[in-house]
Amino acid sequence: MKMTKIYEGSHQWIMFGRDENKPGNIIDTNQYVVRTANRCLLLDPGGAELFAPMMAAVLHHAPVDQITDLFASHQDPDVISSLGLWDQALTNAKLHAPAIWEGFLRHYSCESIEYVPIPDNGGTIKLDSVELQIIPAHYLHSPGNFHVYDPQAKILMTGDVGAAIEANDAPVFVDNFAVHVEKMRYWHQRWMPSNQAKRVWIERVRNLDIDILAPQHGRMFKGDDVKRFLDWFDALQVGIAV
Amino acid sequence: MTNQTKSQFIAVASITSELSAVMVVAKEISLAAANAKAIAFRAGDKAKGFQPITDFINELAKETIELVTNINIHALVLYRLTVNEFQKTTAYNKFELAVKMAGDAAYANTMQKPLDNARLSMQDCQRQFKRDVSQLLGQLEEVMHHARAARVIAANSRIEASQAGEYLQSLQAVAESVDKAAHTIHDNVQRCRIALSIYRNN
Repeated sequence: MKMTKIYEGSHQWIMFGRDENKPGNIIDTNQYVVRTANRCLLLDPGGAELFAPMMAAVLHHAPVDQITDLFASHQDPDVISSLGLWDQALTNAKLHAPAIWEGFLRHYSCESIEYVPIPDNGGTIKLDSVELQIIPAHYLHSPGNFHVYDPQAKILMTGDVGAAIEANDAPVFVDNFAVHVEKMRYWHQRWMPSNQAKRVWIERVRNLDIDILAPQHGRMFKGDDVKRFLDWFDALQVGIAV
Repeated sequence: MTNQTKSQFIAVASITSELSAVMVVAKEISLAAANAKAIAFRAGDKAKGFQPITDFINELAKETIELVTNINIHALVLYRLTVNEFQKTTAYNKFELAVKMAGDAAYANTMQKPLDNARLSMQDCQRQFKRDVSQLLGQLEEVMHHARAARVIAANSRIEASQAGEYLQSLQAVAESVDKAAHTIHDNVQRCRIALSIYRNN
């Protein structure tokens, strides 16, 4: 599992991905960790197949008992099917996930993790002195979908928005936006169902000060590529399957 | 999922299937008892010896139905336990892999406690499964006992039927149906016992 520190300040953001040992028939995913003094938040911790490499990677940064929070942007198996395993490993953890998915996510056999339902208008996650904002991103692509914004690190974790399917050895940041666009186009047109939802989300996130836009698949966007991505997405017609 | 886990799931699921067939047959015996009672009543003195047998058949059918209902509840518990054991075993294996992959990570040793807990939970489930299987085998033995008793009753019924004059054929048919049902119950329950016994002895 490749680990890349993408922010270092009063706390840290670490991106985990490009797992070279993952089974070839499952999609590559990016997991993010926010590490504060005494706590650790896993953002979209990944599928069940990824649990062992992910846990092993996190142990480079935090002891098990300080993994206190998990966040699931939505309900997809590549996002959170490892939940039942985290549930057995962590004795004092919370899952922050869309309220409307609670009854579904509980199918992952949770016994100890506390489900913290996120209402439709979002909320916050407080980790020590760090406060992260939960940004609504409904219908992008899931009916109950959230992103996480860190105003201090200026990072917006965007789930499947900005995602692209890449080779295992692909760089972690976009280095040529024009080339990268073609890796994203069909994904966004097919997976994102609503132009209206897309416009509302873009209006919302244009108000945020973003240095890094961090999707769950493929490369992250930084600097001017963030604005390039928002402009490109704004102009894209989505929901093409109907 | 290992082959053993798959066999365990199949064994537990097959019990429910075999027992539902037993339930149907037990209900058939109950019906046969009611039928026999009516015939014996019509036959009057000619089937005097048959009348107490019909009550006995009915009682036996009711007890079998009750027993099978309880076994089904127990089988459901066993199924849940199988699922639980599968989850605990999966977790233990994944935790063990995580420890191995963590290598010399700064906090690798903090995974030891969850690993130990997972091992204990897994072993606890395995012990509980074996204990429950033993109990279930005991209950199945009781059903076998009922099936054997039903066969004895069927034999007695034939003897009594032979004294019933023109009602001989009807009462013999009742005796045959009880005997056939007892055979079916015996065979189905025996299959359950065979499927489960390997887990008791493991």
